[in-house]
Amino acid sequence: MVTELACVPDIGEARAFIEQNGLTFEEGYDDLVGVHEGDELVAVGARAGNILKMLVVEPSRQNGALFGEVVTDLVGRGFAAGFTSLFVFTKPGYATTFEALNFSLLASHERVALLEFGGGLERWLSSYLSLLRKGVNGAVVMNCNPFTLGHRHLVETASRQVDNLYIFVVREERSVFPFAVRFRLVEEGVRDIPNVLLLDTSSYAISSVTFPTYFLKGADSIARIQMELDIALFASRIAPFFGISSRFFGTEPFCTTTCNYNEAMKRLLPVYGIDAVEVKRRETTDGVISASRVRELLKCDDLAPLEMLVPATTLAYLRSTAVAPVLEKLRENMGRH
Amino acid sequence: MKIIKKAQAGTMQSSDLMVFVEPSEGLTVEIDSTVKKQFEHLIRATIDAVLAAHGVTEGMIRVTDRGALDYAIEARLEAALKRAGEE
Repeated sequence: MVTELACVPDIGEARAFIEQNGLTFEEGYDDLVGVHEGDELVAVGARAGNILKMLVVEPSRQNGALFGEVVTDLVGRGFAAGFTSLFVFTKPGYATTFEALNFSLLASHERVALLEFGGGLERWLSSYLSLLRKGVNGAVVMNCNPFTLGHRHLVETASRQVDNLYIFVVREERSVFPFAVRFRLVEEGVRDIPNVLLLDTSSYAISSVTFPTYFLKGADSIARIQMELDIALFASRIAPFFGISSRFFGTEPFCTTTCNYNEAMKRLLPVYGIDAVEVKRRETTDGVISASRVRELLKCDDLAPLEMLVPATTLAYLRSTAVAPVLEKLRENMGRH
Repeated sequence: MKIIKKAQAGTMQSSDLMVFVEPSEGLTVEIDSTVKKQFEHLIRATIDAVLAAHGVTEGMIRVTDRGALDYAIEARLEAALKRAGEE
């Protein structure tokens, strides 16, 4: 029987069991469950939001039903918590084990496979059937925290090179500007460009925040694998659905993570037959335009230079009272975003 | 009957299925199965029959099947529906 492992000795036992089996115990889960036979812990698994992790079955019992029992329990808990789709990152060799439980493979990488239970990708894609367009299509994927003249420049440049430009706004909430605000400011900021189509990334942009690393050992560059998997998912599943043949992105002079991501796109997208098009950032007299600079100025209450950095639509929002909670978050937040 | 809340039934074990139901406008049945190619139409027919027998006209029904036989499909769906219809 699957039980919740919530008290300290149970958690300690689970940690030892997971580590004995070559994985790393990661804190920060919502559910940790396990199966005991007699006094012995023989299987464990955990759920963090919509991600299943730390799934281990004692090696001599791997042919039985334990794995399915643990996954059933975690999927049930995930469903009760409001997640219709659940994800698992695993070693590629285990992908078929999950496929036998009706998980479907979303993207595969030499070190990592990403699978989903619940058919969310298909449902998400089919919700955008009305946005499908014939012709030469391009894409940009942006967080827009918040929408600046730099984003606007990228969109304008890209939209001139294609028949239709899909703008994917990152849905994940890890930025000071909430998704709804980021999305609306993009919408308002590109309204006059006729051939753009706006949509969100749902759960299908893999961020370093959601990417678990408990099964990766040693010298693997975790950030690199996470980026490559994200690009593989975009290129192999999302782009073909929308008929996207080129992806546009701005040059990145500051953030190493984004810069590495750009390099990875240039290397990998062509493998899938997609052009990686880097667009030179727009500059003002005192440097390039970036959302991080906008956030810096907001933090210091220095609103005058913003006119040079953001379009009128974003400026109106930044000057309104609605921006107050964002400012508060910005002053507390020391993180990258 | 009316589906008034989210509910589930079943397991991921071989020869079983998991059924997830939730309130929704219109009636949608999504089927995923390890034997989808051969048997999707039969699974769907069984599900439609159970839904009709219970007078379910609205809801989102998701099924993930691992080769369950008809009576298992009927029982799991019925269990999920009863849980979803309770106040």
